Amino acid sequence: MSDIHTPEEENDRVLAAEYALGLLTDEERATFEARMATNPDLRAEVLAWDTHIADAIMDEVEDVTPSPQVARRLKTVLFKPDRTSFWQQLWPYGLGGAAAALVLWLMVSTGILLREEELLQADLVAELAPTPEGAGLVIRANVDTARGAVQVLRSAGEPPEGRVFELWLIAGDAAPVSLGLLDADGSTLIDVPQEVVALLPGALLAISDEPPGGSPTGAPTGAVRAAGPLTSS
Amino acid sequence: MTPQEEVENLIARVAMGDRAAFDKLYERTSAKLFGVCLRVLNDRVEAEEVLQDVFVTVWNKADSYKVNGYSPMTWLITITRNRAVDRKRALKLPPVPIETADLLPDSAPGPEASAVAASEARQIQACLDELPRARAHLVRRAYLEGYSYADLSEATGVNLNTIRTWLRRSLLALRECLSR
Repeated sequence: MSDIHTPEEENDRVLAAEYALGLLTDEERATFEARMATNPDLRAEVLAWDTHIADAIMDEVEDVTPSPQVARRLKTVLFKPDRTSFWQQLWPYGLGGAAAALVLWLMVSTGILLREEELLQADLVAELAPTPEGAGLVIRANVDTARGAVQVLRSAGEPPEGRVFELWLIAGDAAPVSLGLLDADGSTLIDVPQEVVALLPGALLAISDEPPGGSPTGAPTGAVRAAGPLTSS
Repeated sequence: MTPQEEVENLIARVAMGDRAAFDKLYERTSAKLFGVCLRVLNDRVEAEEVLQDVFVTVWNKADSYKVNGYSPMTWLITITRNRAVDRKRALKLPPVPIETADLLPDSAPGPEASAVAASEARQIQACLDELPRARAHLVRRAYLEGYSYADLSEATGVNLNTIRTWLRRSLLALRECLSR
C-alpha cells in the first residue's frame, strides 16, 4: 500500500513525532502548539505518536518498584492537613462524619444557614468541600431517604461562565453516576429512585462543571469543584 | 473488568477526589511509570522526584483525562515520559556513547528484533524491526531514553544535521509502516 502524501503532510507527520518525542526547540514547540490549538488533525497525529511511543515503552521498559518513601512523600504533599482548608481536612472519609454532623447541628440550631421551609426530613447530609478549582463554593446536600429526595443548597459560589454544575454519586468502587444538574438559583431538589437511595449511605457526592445540558459522555468531563461524603444526620 | 478498564475507572474516581482510588492507582501503575523515569534519567533520586511530580499532576489533573482521547496507560506514560525528558534536558545529562558497531549499516534485524519477532510482536515492534538496525537503535534512544538530536549527535559523533535527517526519515518510515 503506497499512500501518496504531500510534502506538507509528511512534514506535519514528522513535526508531530518530534513534538511527541520532545525533539523540537522551545520556539518550534510554541509554533507547533499554536497550530495544534486550531487543527484537530495535528492533535490526532500527536495522539497517534504518543500512543506508539507508549506502546514501545510498555513492551520494552521494565517495571521497577520505587522506594516506599515516594508514596509517603506524596501523601504529605497532597494530603497534609495544614495545607488544606478546614473541610478538606475532614474530607473525604471517616473523620468527616461526626464533625460534619456537629457543624450542621450548630448551623441548624443557630439558624444561620437553613430556613425552616428548606428542611426535609434529612437523615443523610453531606458538606461538599471545595477543591482548589472550586474555591469559594459552599454547597450542602440533605437527603430524605424515605422520600427519595436529594436537596442541594449552594449558598456561595457560581459555576464558571457558560457552564453548569452537575451532581455525581460515587458509591464504593463504582464509576461516578450522575444525579442531575444543579439549578442556577442555588437550591435544587432532585428525586432519586429507591435503588439509588440504597447506595447513598457512606457514598461520596461530588460536583463538576459541565457544558449546558450536562456531561455529554455520562462521566464527569469538567473540573471537580467540590466533594464530600454522605453521613447520617 | 480488563486492566485498562480498571485503570480508567480508577482515574475517574481520582478525578472525584477519591483517595483510596489514588492509592490503588499508584499501586497498579507506579512500577511501570518509575521504570520509564529511570530509563530516561538513569538516576534513582531524580527518577523518584519526577515520579512524585507525575502523581501530583495525576491527582490534580485526573478530571482532564476523559476528554483527551488517550487510553489510560498512554495518558499516564505520556505525562511521565514528558516530565522525565524535561528533567533530563534541564539537568543536561551527558549521553551514553553509542557503539560504532550499532551504527554500521545493516539491514538484517538485530538480536533484539529477532527475539521479539519470535514472540507476538506488537505493531510498533514489527515496524521498528523494518528499519535498518542502526536507525532502529537511534529511534529507541529517542523513544525510550528521551535523547535529543544533540544527545544523539554527541553519543555517535555524527554531526547534528545528519542525525536529524536520519531520524526524521526513520520516523516517516515508521509512520508509513504503522498506518498500514
